[in-house]
Parts: sequence; C-alpha cells; structure tokens
Amino acid sequence: MTSTILAVISLSAVGLIAGVAIFVANRILPKEDKSLEKANEVKEFLPGADCGACGKPGCFAYAQAVAKDIEVLEATPCRILAKDEESSKQLGEYLGVDLADAGPGSKAIIHCTGDSPAIGSYNGVPTCGAAVLVGAGEKECPYACVGFGDCGAVCPVDAITVDRERQVAVVDWKECIGCGMCVQTCPRKLIELVSADTPQYLGCNYLARKDVAGRKKCQVGCIHCRICVRSSEHDEVVWDDATDLPRFDTTLAEAAIEKCPRKIIIKTIAFPEVVAAGTAESQVEEPAN
Amino acid sequence: MSELVAIFFSMALVNNMVLVKFLGLCPFFGVSKKLSSAVSMGVAVMLVMLVASAVTWPLFHLLLVPSGVEFMRTVIFILVIASLVQIIEMAIKRTNLTLYNALGIYLPLITTNCAVLGITFINIDSEYTFIQSLAAALGAGVGFSLVLIIMSGIRERLDLADTPKVFRGAPIAFIIAGLLGLAFLAFGGMVG
Repeated sequence: MTSTILAVISLSAVGLIAGVAIFVANRILPKEDKSLEKANEVKEFLPGADCGACGKPGCFAYAQAVAKDIEVLEATPCRILAKDEESSKQLGEYLGVDLADAGPGSKAIIHCTGDSPAIGSYNGVPTCGAAVLVGAGEKECPYACVGFGDCGAVCPVDAITVDRERQVAVVDWKECIGCGMCVQTCPRKLIELVSADTPQYLGCNYLARKDVAGRKKCQVGCIHCRICVRSSEHDEVVWDDATDLPRFDTTLAEAAIEKCPRKIIIKTIAFPEVVAAGTAESQVEEPAN
Repeated sequence: MSELVAIFFSMALVNNMVLVKFLGLCPFFGVSKKLSSAVSMGVAVMLVMLVASAVTWPLFHLLLVPSGVEFMRTVIFILVIASLVQIIEMAIKRTNLTLYNALGIYLPLITTNCAVLGITFINIDSEYTFIQSLAAALGAGVGFSLVLIIMSGIRERLDLADTPKVFRGAPIAFIIAGLLGLAFLAFGGMVG
C-alpha cells in the first residue's frame, strides 16, 4: 500500500517539477528572435495541417519562408488557405497584400473507374503498396485501382474515399487541395494532378502499347479507338502517342464525351452545370451534395 | 580512466544501440535517406542521451531507490525525457536559431526514441556510477550517429545503383542493415 502511495507521490512530484522547470525555462530564456516572432504570427493564420503542398516541410517552415520573403505566398500559395476566404483575408490584411487571386490551383484525378473483374482474393496487408508488391491485387487489369486506399490514408484533408462496391478510390474535388501526396503514394501511378479548371479526364490508364490483348479485361477500359480525337472540332482532344491514350486541354469536349463507346471520359465539377453521365457518377460527386 | 574509455567503446561499437541492441530502429530507417539529415539526427540524439542520462541517474538513485518505487522508472523516465527535450528545444530555438533550423523536426521526434530511454535503463541495469553512465551515454550516442551516418552514406549511393526492381527502396535497406549488423558483430568480445 505504501509503495502505491509513494509511486503516486513520486510521479506527481516529478511531473510537477518538470512542469515548473519548463515554465521557469520559458521565463528565464531570452526572447525569441525577431524573424521567428513574425513567423509565429503568420503561422497563426495557416491551417496547420502540415500537408506539404507548398513544398515546405510543414506550416511553420512555410511561415518562416513567408515572414522572410512575402513573394513566397504568390510563388507557392497555400492550397488550404486559398479555400478558406476568412483566414486568407486576415493573413492578407496582416501582411498588407491582396491574396484574392491565387489561380485555379490543382486537383487530383484518378485514371480508373474500377470494374475490372476480380481474379483472386488477396488476404495480405491491406494496403495498395503491399498488394502490388506481392502480386497484382485482386483485379485482372494491371492498371486498375487496387482499392485499398493508400491515397486516402495520406490525404491531409480526407478528400479521397474508396468506393467499396467497385473497389476504386474517389476524389472529392470540393475537398481536394491539390497537394499531390496521393500522386506519389499510388503504386500504380494512376493519380495525376491537373489544373482545377480542367473540364474532363479519361477514367482509364490502360497503356495499349504494352499489352494489346488486355483491352478485354475491363468493361470501362479505354479501347484506343480514337473516336474522341475524331469527334473533336478544335483539337481539344489529341492522341498522345507516348502513352497511347487521349489528352485533353481545358476546353470542354462535349462531343468526345458523348461518343466515347466506353463512356469513360469523365466531366469534372469544374463545370457545375453538367452532371457526369453513366459510369462517371460514382467518380465525381454531384455539386448538389 | 581506462574503464571509462572501455565503457565508451563498448557502447559505441560492441553493444551498438542500433545494430546489436536493436534500439532506435525507426530513426535508423526513417532518417537515413540523406547524409545531412542523418548528421543532424545523430547530433540531436547524442545531446539528448547525454542530458537524459545526467538527469535520470540521480533521479533513480536519490529518489526512486530510497522510496522503494524502482518499478516506476519507465513512466518517470519517459516524463523526464519528454520535458527535457521540450526545454532543450526551447533553449536552442531562442539562443541559436541556425542550430535550431539545422536540427529541424528531429529534436522533438527524439522524445519518443527508444534508444534514449534504453540508454538510461542500461546505465541503471549495469550499475554504472554517475560518471560511467555519462561515458556510456556519450558512447551510445556516438555509436548511434556512426551507424546512422554509415547507413545514409550507403543509401545515398544505393539510390544510384541498379538494384533489382523488387529490392528497391525498403527491402534493400533492410538487407543492408542486416549486413551492417553482421559487420558490427565482429566487434563482439573485444571490450567487455
């Protein structure tokens, strides 16, 4: 019994002394450097997610860089801050600059809509990286989304969820801050960062050059028919010979979306008046939600 | 004096924290990708080990042993090391900004480094005196930095090497770690 009491007393005593020591150290030690003072104040306006989208190791490093040179704010804007008008305005007022125009920014897209038939069951470590390492995951298509959500795990704003039914990751563009963490994580290299005003993208990453027979492996895979290129009027769709897949620019290619036999050219919420059709519904959330 | 030297080398090489005692493995793999960050981490760990040993030894022998609550050492040592790291970080941040930026995020990371907690336990289990435990802490810190620097040097070159695809990244790092461990096994039995 006494040892229990002594244990409690000694732990509390050490805790108290440690607390007091930190307090005293805080008082005794000289004040922080002037440049850090400003960085600390800038940091108050930042989201504190330490996502690394700006290219700095964390929010404090970013604040230090901003405090030193205000140009950093425009050269590498904070993506989360750009979405938060209130904080953005406050930081602008504090620094005496206008932060209203940060450009469209980037968004992540996933070049897969799922649906490749499963050819086996995988019972290992439930991460995409592990699944790809030991085999090819559960799906037949070697370019399909593995669906264990490694991308969602690294997303600092939880913008990526996995559609369990189709075993495919889905990006919520309203939440996505375009940091690119998921791009590096995806073992299949299915995720790409595109400009946030991109109206459409291809929901498939099947490289025909490498395996021509593979086009039958999936009902929503690109069959490389090039109808999208032929139906485009002003070269808004061009064929990329390196990947053997179409490339889009920032104009809406309505005809190509209509004509695509697999319906895998997916409209993004960059054009809120259109709601993605067919298979695309699960990929891009409707703006009404 | 020769005893202190023996303890120092024993902790640095023969009983190396990482490769023989398997402590502090997570910074060993996590921070050994670049030589510059390995050096920062090594210095930070050395510093914290030294200070932690200097504080926990008297705490154990003057507070815990007389009160008969030696079993509390894990909790109390963690508490003490965590607050120590806090104070050290605060002190470095305010007195030497260049050093603070060089150590970066590694200093707060050390709070939960098992190698730091490990050396304080080893000091007590080996019944070292105060001076001996300082020598042991310094040796352990040097040994940790040494291994970290060797590993990062190898991994920097390894990035350029033509490794088979399945071995790229972590797998080859584990194999290298095993080979390094074998190499350090050669020191076994040299000093007590």
